[in-house]
Amino acid sequence: MGQAFLEIDGLFKDFGGLRAVDNVSFSMNRDQILGLIGPNGAGKTTLVRLITGILRPDSGSIRFKGKNVIGLKTWDIINLGIACTFQNMRPFRRLPIIANVMVSCLCPRAMKRGEWVKRVEAKALDALEFAGISDMSLEKASTLSQGDLKRLEVARAIATEPELLILDEPFGGLSPAETDLMAKSIKRLHKGGRFGRLHSEGPAMIIIEHKLQQLMKIVDRIIVLNYGIIIADGTPEEVVNDKEVVESYLGEGGI
Amino acid sequence: MGILGVYLRKIYTLFRGEVLVLPSRIVVFLFFLVLLFLPVVTQDLYLLRILILTSIFAILAASWDLLSGYTGQMNFGHALFFGVGAYTAALLNLHAHIPPYGSIPLGGLAAVLAGLVIGIPCLRLRGTYLALTTLAFPIILMGIVFAIPGITGGELGVSGLSRLSSSRLYDYYITVVLMLGLCTIMWKITDSKTGIIFHAIREDELAVRTSGINVTRYKLLAFSLSGFFAGISGGLYAHFMRIAGPSTLEVSMSFTVVIWAVFGGIVTIYGPVGAVFILFPLLEFFRFWPEFRMLLFAVVILLILLYMPNGILPWVRDKIEKECPRCKVRNVATRKTCRVCVAPLD
Repeated sequence: MGQAFLEIDGLFKDFGGLRAVDNVSFSMNRDQILGLIGPNGAGKTTLVRLITGILRPDSGSIRFKGKNVIGLKTWDIINLGIACTFQNMRPFRRLPIIANVMVSCLCPRAMKRGEWVKRVEAKALDALEFAGISDMSLEKASTLSQGDLKRLEVARAIATEPELLILDEPFGGLSPAETDLMAKSIKRLHKGGRFGRLHSEGPAMIIIEHKLQQLMKIVDRIIVLNYGIIIADGTPEEVVNDKEVVESYLGEGGI
Repeated sequence: MGILGVYLRKIYTLFRGEVLVLPSRIVVFLFFLVLLFLPVVTQDLYLLRILILTSIFAILAASWDLLSGYTGQMNFGHALFFGVGAYTAALLNLHAHIPPYGSIPLGGLAAVLAGLVIGIPCLRLRGTYLALTTLAFPIILMGIVFAIPGITGGELGVSGLSRLSSSRLYDYYITVVLMLGLCTIMWKITDSKTGIIFHAIREDELAVRTSGINVTRYKLLAFSLSGFFAGISGGLYAHFMRIAGPSTLEVSMSFTVVIWAVFGGIVTIYGPVGAVFILFPLLEFFRFWPEFRMLLFAVVILLILLYMPNGILPWVRDKIEKECPRCKVRNVATRKTCRVCVAPLD
């Protein structure tokens, strides 16, 4: 059996007296879309921050493509092929939208993969085109709506041409129509292919989300966290019927 | 003649299409022109002296903007770079007999080292904490200067340096051309891809890290570049004044740079340069009323910042130009449609 694409083993993270991530272990394959759900404060975002090197775990290991990423700087992890978006969007507000994406296009990974692209601007524009906001490329990021900011986050993340894309609440604050559009974009991205000068590897994905109905349509596996512990791991059908998940998160009404 | 004619016509077309279309560009062009041809009109030694010092401090103010304005690394100890540049140039000139054209760049390189010395421990600090920490460095160096008077001259400084050049007129041209050149380089840096990353670091460092950019490298680059330009200005100052003293490291020097930059408008490069060219001669003019000099100076600054919080030059620029809502190209305020995309401007 080949080595797992992402392998997390015995991960712990404490904040003072609070254990945010408690002995989390799982692995995922290159072609998977993994949903990460759980109540607020369950440790989902902390787990993502541990994977991307923003936080350092107290113990445990994270291996990406067989390489231990613990101790690496965030930018080194991103340049290995992991990209992430933030739950609370963090655009460069005073910069034009295209410059927001250009920053990602200027990272070593994107520069190496796009050596043949003469102009970084063109590649950034293609990322915006994919996200559906290329018509606003010259506007300041501070003028964008909530939905467009989510799209900008996605454009910034895919500009590095990642192999693992972590989306933290991509549907948060979006209208039903915008949510559908975003879901379609995510699926299209996962299929892979060339979008202008941008090449999508068909990245594996980890999606943190509370809008479970939409999430279930996209993902093929779900992990449920509660108090930092994995309480369920399986297909969407298995997870929604899990007694512990219903009790701790979904409630009797289900999704 | 034919080829020359073609080139001249090309230059004129470029000039008409790129410079004459915007008042701000015309002002910058005139600024270059006036500074370069002023000695044709007058060679008054006092006036040239004021303009030489203004040019030197303009480099210093622009270098602060590059670091603190663009990259957001709030530096309240910018005098350190100035002082390191000045002392290095002075000591190399006095003891190693290196002429100014060698000692000034070496002073700049010494200031790059100083930039790294500050930059590395300050990498983890932001905002107020960074500002207060940077404030300490020139004070520490001043302590060192006083501690080893045998080398640094103590309170008296290092004096008796070579002149910048053989005459005041040459001094003027050296400093003015260097100022125009270095400030253009700084502006080009901020307008480049590196400049975009500097901008982004100021906006949100974590987001830059998750974009795969090595933030440490870029922050140290900003400290080094800013240090280099400030060090050059320090070296120029030392050779022009023929002394490098502790006044180059004073806290008041650091804060004066901040005042210049904020007055002119930060994150512009041209703002701090313009501000020095307004405030430094103005302070000289106020010498006619020596007892009210600093009071008048403070009143002018407070009034400007009260009514133009983004600085005087961006305020003026926004009055005489407006941005096209569609293509974001700037136009003369009197135009009704954009000069590029013809979209209505109102």
